[in-house]
Amino acid sequence: MANIAALRIQREFKEVIRSEEVAKCAIKVELVNDSFTELKGEIAGPPDTPYEGGNFVLEIKVPETYPFNPPKVRFITKIWHPNISSVTGAICLDILKDQWAAAMTLRTVLLSLQALLSAAEPDDPQDAVVARQYKEHPEMFRQTAKHWTYVYAGGPAKMPDLDDKIRRLTDMGIEEHNARVALSSYNWDLERATEQLFS
Amino acid sequence: MTTEEYDTEMDYSDSDCGDPGYEDYYNVHPWDGEGDNDIDNDQSRRDPEYAVYDCLRIEEVERLLNEDVESLSNSLHITPSLAKVLLHAHNWALQDIIAKYRTNASSLFINSKIKPLPPLDSLSGLKSQRSGLCSVCVAIQSAEKFSTLTCGHSFCKDCWCMHFEVQISQGISTGISCMAQDCNVLAPEDFVLSLLTKPNMRERYQQFAFCDYVKSHPQLRFCPGPNCQMIMRSKEQRAKRVMCSSCKTCDLIRNCNNFSFRCGIDYHAPTDCNTMKKWLTKCADDSETANYISAHTKDCPKCHICIEKNGGCNHMQCYNCKYDFCWMCLGDWKAHGSEYYVCSRYKENPNIAHESVLAQAREALKKYLHYYERWENHSKSLKLEEQTLEAIKMQINKKVMNYSGTWIDWQHLFAAASLLTRCRYTLQYTYPYAYYMEPGPRKELFEYQQAQLEAEIEDLSWKIEHAETTNRGDLENQMDIAEKRRVTLLKDFLEV
Ligand SMILES: [Zn+2]
Ligand SMILES: [Zn+2]
Ligand SMILES: [Zn+2]
Ligand SMILES: [Zn+2]
Ligand SMILES: [Zn+2]
Ligand SMILES: [Zn+2]
Repeated sequence: MANIAALRIQREFKEVIRSEEVAKCAIKVELVNDSFTELKGEIAGPPDTPYEGGNFVLEIKVPETYPFNPPKVRFITKIWHPNISSVTGAICLDILKDQWAAAMTLRTVLLSLQALLSAAEPDDPQDAVVARQYKEHPEMFRQTAKHWTYVYAGGPAKMPDLDDKIRRLTDMGIEEHNARVALSSYNWDLERATEQLFS
Repeated sequence: MTTEEYDTEMDYSDSDCGDPGYEDYYNVHPWDGEGDNDIDNDQSRRDPEYAVYDCLRIEEVERLLNEDVESLSNSLHITPSLAKVLLHAHNWALQDIIAKYRTNASSLFINSKIKPLPPLDSLSGLKSQRSGLCSVCVAIQSAEKFSTLTCGHSFCKDCWCMHFEVQISQGISTGISCMAQDCNVLAPEDFVLSLLTKPNMRERYQQFAFCDYVKSHPQLRFCPGPNCQMIMRSKEQRAKRVMCSSCKTCDLIRNCNNFSFRCGIDYHAPTDCNTMKKWLTKCADDSETANYISAHTKDCPKCHICIEKNGGCNHMQCYNCKYDFCWMCLGDWKAHGSEYYVCSRYKENPNIAHESVLAQAREALKKYLHYYERWENHSKSLKLEEQTLEAIKMQINKKVMNYSGTWIDWQHLFAAASLLTRCRYTLQYTYPYAYYMEPGPRKELFEYQQAQLEAEIEDLSWKIEHAETTNRGDLENQMDIAEKRRVTLLKDFLEV
């Protein structure tokens, strides 16, 4: 079993490296160890999304029963998305669960994740706070996602007014990431974020 | 079917003197003395809980299911394996499937995941078969090593086998699908078994598939008793009480012998399934608040000595000062007159609307606790009465050994204990019902009947616990009264 997993991963690794997506710098995989049980993936934020210009790093763990079971994938780069936990990076995507098929490959997974960044599914959320904002305050969601892309994924859009609010909280001794989470969760309402942080 | 069922019940009654220790409360017939023998046909009118059902062994159910499989496979000229896929997908509605087949066979096969959604993507399969490369294990194989489902997606046999093993080890059997991306065609039983080699895997696959078939069959249900292999079959559309003939004979755990066909929660008349679900969720949510009630000890209200509840009866007598009091409200037992047992009744505060939100919340909690406390208490009493029954058995054993009567002479005590359990079981399930009832005359009537039932049950419980000094006629009279109260309440309020 483990033999098939290693064979498959080696082959897929080559497949991804040779693929046209790599040529376009859209996806990437790297080996973490020699045993092919763990890999590092990378996907570029798709154009015309708040993630555009960002680079998102993924942790890929290959189970012994691969490819009969799906790889375990999570975001290492912090991201603001309804189907991805803003805390753990855990992903809610059907092909990583019951819709996985043994004939799928790492390339399919990476491309599916990229597609997920383009089209979220707020009705099947992983992060309830983000999903709610996505549905109720779409513009606020876009701004927040863009801001997170800038801070954590090297995105291009600097947003001084949001940075300003975060600074107000860090000045009060709040750790920067915690301040960002609180503000993002409360639609950048400084008063409510403060209240939550100090309650 | 009705006659058959009735015969079975009679068999149990006849065997009363055979194995007294395991007589079940459900087979006690308190009406037998009334000369009411013409009951064959109006059993359901007389007993609101009456249900027609069979208790079947696995082999019997297999035979039953196979009849349907054979019949469908003959009428549609398909393999028994495909017939199983169709029956499972359509909850064993044989006639429905045949009708759908006549209207549009191909859409029936597509919807049942026997055939793939068009357009057919068989190119990739052919390609891999011709090139000899299995895309799952990425190994080159000879052509006869490949296998494919109706979708044409071709993979090597070793990979299919491994796929099945991984799925089966995750408990999946009838739901195993093709290994290709976006293909939902299911692997039928004959395909799986032709490729699965390990005997233990084949066995597990067949066990899981059988479970799936039973679960998808609206008339079948596994007995929820621990380690019990029996399967119930009933055509009842409504929640009814059924009792497993197998675990009844081997243990005295009663709660799981009774279950309703609708929801899988323990049998819960007179409360309906939805109310029951709401109630259990509420109990789980509020468990912390309610925890303090579940303590097994209370102080005697008179002399304040700590006493532990040791039997199911709520009529407590302090071993120190001999004060008689009610376990639930700690009030004087004598005040709980036989006519109207006030303790079971929760009085709604009529001024509630005028009070603050906080007070309302407090009032809501108080109301919930009132019902919960009684619900919990009767559930505990049920468990304690099991111990009481054990104690009775030992007592009788001792008596019989000392030549003070035979087992038959003491038989009535078991009948009484069984009936007590049946009554208390129903009483326990009246509390969720009452909790969700709108205030009004109907609720008042319900709580009046509930109070009467409760009073008779406590009386019966007391008489059983003090059986040595209770006269047999007295006890049997009390049994009769309690059961009548129970049936009256169910007749008036069982709306299933
Ligand atoms: Zn293969
Ligand atoms: Zn297929
Ligand atoms: Zn059973
Ligand atoms: Zn139910
Ligand atoms: Zn006392
Ligand atoms: Zn009381």
